[in-house]
Amino acid sequence: MNKKIDFREVLQRSLVPIMFIVICAIGIPLSGLSVGYLANEIMTRMGRNIFLILSLLIPIMAGMGLNFGMTLGAMAGEIALILVCDWQIVGIPAMVLAAIISVPISIALGVFCGSILNQAKGREMITSYIMSFFINGIYQLVVLYMMGSIIPIRHGSIKLPRGYGIRNTVSLLSMRQKLDNLIPLTVGGVKIPVATFLVILVMCLFIVWFRRTKLGQDMRAVGQDMGVARDAGINVERTRIISIVISTVLAGFGMIIYLQNMGNIATYSSHSQIGMFCIAALLVGGASVDKASIGNVFLGVILFHTMFIVAPKAGATITGDSMIGEYFRVFVSYAVITIALVMYETSKRRKKKAAGRELQDLQGHGGDDLRTADLGTL
Amino acid sequence: MNKGRKWIFRIGALAIVLAVAAVMFVIGRGHTVYFDNRELAYNGKTVAAPYKIVVSVDGEQVAKLYDKERGMTDTMGQKFSMVVRITQEKGGEEKTSAVSMNLPYNMDGIILNIPAMMAGLPEEAYLTEFIQAPTEEPEEEPAEGEDDMMGEEELLTDV
Amino acid sequence: MKEKLQAFFKSFGLPRLIIAGFLLLLLILAPFVGADLPTQISNIINRFSWNGILVLAMVPMVHSGCGLNFGLPLGIISGLLGATLSIELGFTGRLSFFAAILIATPFALILGAGYGFLLNKIKGGEMMIATYVGFSSVSFMCMMWLLLPYHSPNMVWGYAGKGLRTTISLEGYYNQALAGILPIKIGNILIPTGTLLFFALLAFGIWAFLHTKTGTAMTAVGSNPAFARAAGINVDGIRLLSVVMSTWLAAVGILVYEQGFGFIQLYMAPFYMALPAVSAILIGGASVNKASIVNVIVGTILFQGIVTMTPTVMNNAIHMDMSEIIRIIASMGMILFALTRKTEATR
Repeated sequence: MNKKIDFREVLQRSLVPIMFIVICAIGIPLSGLSVGYLANEIMTRMGRNIFLILSLLIPIMAGMGLNFGMTLGAMAGEIALILVCDWQIVGIPAMVLAAIISVPISIALGVFCGSILNQAKGREMITSYIMSFFINGIYQLVVLYMMGSIIPIRHGSIKLPRGYGIRNTVSLLSMRQKLDNLIPLTVGGVKIPVATFLVILVMCLFIVWFRRTKLGQDMRAVGQDMGVARDAGINVERTRIISIVISTVLAGFGMIIYLQNMGNIATYSSHSQIGMFCIAALLVGGASVDKASIGNVFLGVILFHTMFIVAPKAGATITGDSMIGEYFRVFVSYAVITIALVMYETSKRRKKKAAGRELQDLQGHGGDDLRTADLGTL
Repeated sequence: MNKGRKWIFRIGALAIVLAVAAVMFVIGRGHTVYFDNRELAYNGKTVAAPYKIVVSVDGEQVAKLYDKERGMTDTMGQKFSMVVRITQEKGGEEKTSAVSMNLPYNMDGIILNIPAMMAGLPEEAYLTEFIQAPTEEPEEEPAEGEDDMMGEEELLTDV
Repeated sequence: MKEKLQAFFKSFGLPRLIIAGFLLLLLILAPFVGADLPTQISNIINRFSWNGILVLAMVPMVHSGCGLNFGLPLGIISGLLGATLSIELGFTGRLSFFAAILIATPFALILGAGYGFLLNKIKGGEMMIATYVGFSSVSFMCMMWLLLPYHSPNMVWGYAGKGLRTTISLEGYYNQALAGILPIKIGNILIPTGTLLFFALLAFGIWAFLHTKTGTAMTAVGSNPAFARAAGINVDGIRLLSVVMSTWLAAVGILVYEQGFGFIQLYMAPFYMALPAVSAILIGGASVNKASIVNVIVGTILFQGIVTMTPTVMNNAIHMDMSEIIRIIASMGMILFALTRKTEATR
């Protein structure tokens, strides 16, 4: 019986990636895009997004699900970049400085978010999701009203003409793709952002190393069973907060890498959808709410962004309307997350039921109560 | 590890990070340097503009200036080096000289008057701050939706 | 008495108190900063009448323990299908409103049943999945609005002759279909009696339903599913019923909203419509597993009060329009607060 469940799980896990491979296989020829163009685009997007997505791994390890609150880190990164931009620091030093400045902001937001999530155990995802909206309100308050009036902003190219608040777009021309082009390399017409990939590599090594540390082991224990972890003497609350803090800080760094590639900040919207797209990409790579690996991140970015690039063109070829493709890719992003969430919840229920049955077999009776008990964990 | 050592490491790490930040402030400071080729009067002395000036930075030509022309380049860091090639008269000999200087930290835009600089005048003569002329523009307000929390275009952003 | 008062404040919750206090402050400030109070009150009543039923749509699902209905957009989509089909089929005037409700009903029943079936499969994770069911359905319908063969010249893009517009005017259709019934005018205050009566009718219907046998069963399922099952209640069936009811109410709710607003908004418009409704009912005193009609009424008035009052009062007082931000912080803060509360009873 165990084997059967395993087979089912493997199939479930690879369902979404297979679906995406099919979508891409159909979409690429329809879009009429050249392989060279596609390869270039995907390479750029890999450099741009992977770091951000890596930031999601640690909360998953700690059993806190998909951290929709990564948006908080993205906002911290944006605030740091705006400040650095106003101080007229340029190039790689600007990115380093922005990263340093983003850390205290990210930590503060992460601690706040983590302690709220500790009060909402069992519904971390919806809470972190609402949290991203809430902090977005605070972010707007800071950027639109406090910057320029309380926080000094000197340059008119950043500030709104009314004297306070930041413009809709802040140009990052002075650090645009500075990291990507630090070590130039072109292979077969495909530009490879070597330095960005080196940073990503360091990050991957960090995650691999982190999993083996005491703290990493604690996190996994907390992720598996909070009660058991607590009995083992682990400070569950603290461990969970730390996992969110790390995620937020990394998301801040990721956002800085992301924006240096884009070359400008859309002050009021750059961060708003970033969480959704990163989570969708991670899930496309075969991750689930309670299990994700670095491999999932890479596969996910490639598949998701291939779909993202080809969908509008393919949609235009099929229906004659490019908007269809645009809506299609938004739909697919949401649908993937929905499917992944449903699969997670159903398998969780199945496991619980199985555990209940085992207990019932052991005790001979009383399993019924256990089976009904899982109804109420809203 | 005992508590005292732990704290020393923490403070040390913090100090290193702050030091890195401070270094970044200095080496990452960007300036826009403008080059002028025009005649300049200073203390009753007048320096005439040559026929042509070519400025290169890091072996790359950034400006080629005839009389009354202005060129510019973006730089990073406080130390600024350039190679200036001056042709006094049309068809005349080209004179090459390497110039290196420290830029003032608090100026974003810096205008260098090349003829005055070459003539050996003091810094206050050839260096002036470039101040952006305030441009009139329509009031720009971030778009705010009427009833939904966010605008539609944000949902269709590219990543 | 004093203890009772203290208990009341405790159950009321700090965020709710702040929001109510803030609205009170706005009302007091309004005349001083030169805002016309009767107009403001009229606005609040008006917006209450538009949004009341959307908020009411939260009640059945909260009662059956399905949590806050973040999947409201699904019901809104049924409503939009009803609205567009009613116009497409050539109904006009007030009749088109009732036709729209009639046409929306089967959609709401089918979509609601599917949605309810899904939610029964994933008990425990309802809210997150509801959110994404809403998002998926909205983005799916974005494609459909473009592809479905609508032809009415009042609804499709003029130059292409196909694909629905993003906003469709209801002039000549059901604009003010309810608000136009027996309007009362007192000075500057205009009361849309018809809409309010319609809301009262539905609210009373829900209240009455909750007091029937099925209704009490629904409450039992929400407060203690294990007990409910032991008592022989079909838990899944009751939950399904509550989801269908919520979906249908959302469909009717959006039609009522449109008749007041005067336009149908398609495509991404329904996307975030769940959030204001969710925060409204929470501001009104509901929690994740408890909600009453009173919560709906109080919450809608408070929420819409803040939405309408802040721009004018703020603008007049400090020449800064911070209303958008205040609205986001207040409503999201309220939802956060509710999510962090330990739910009462052993659930």
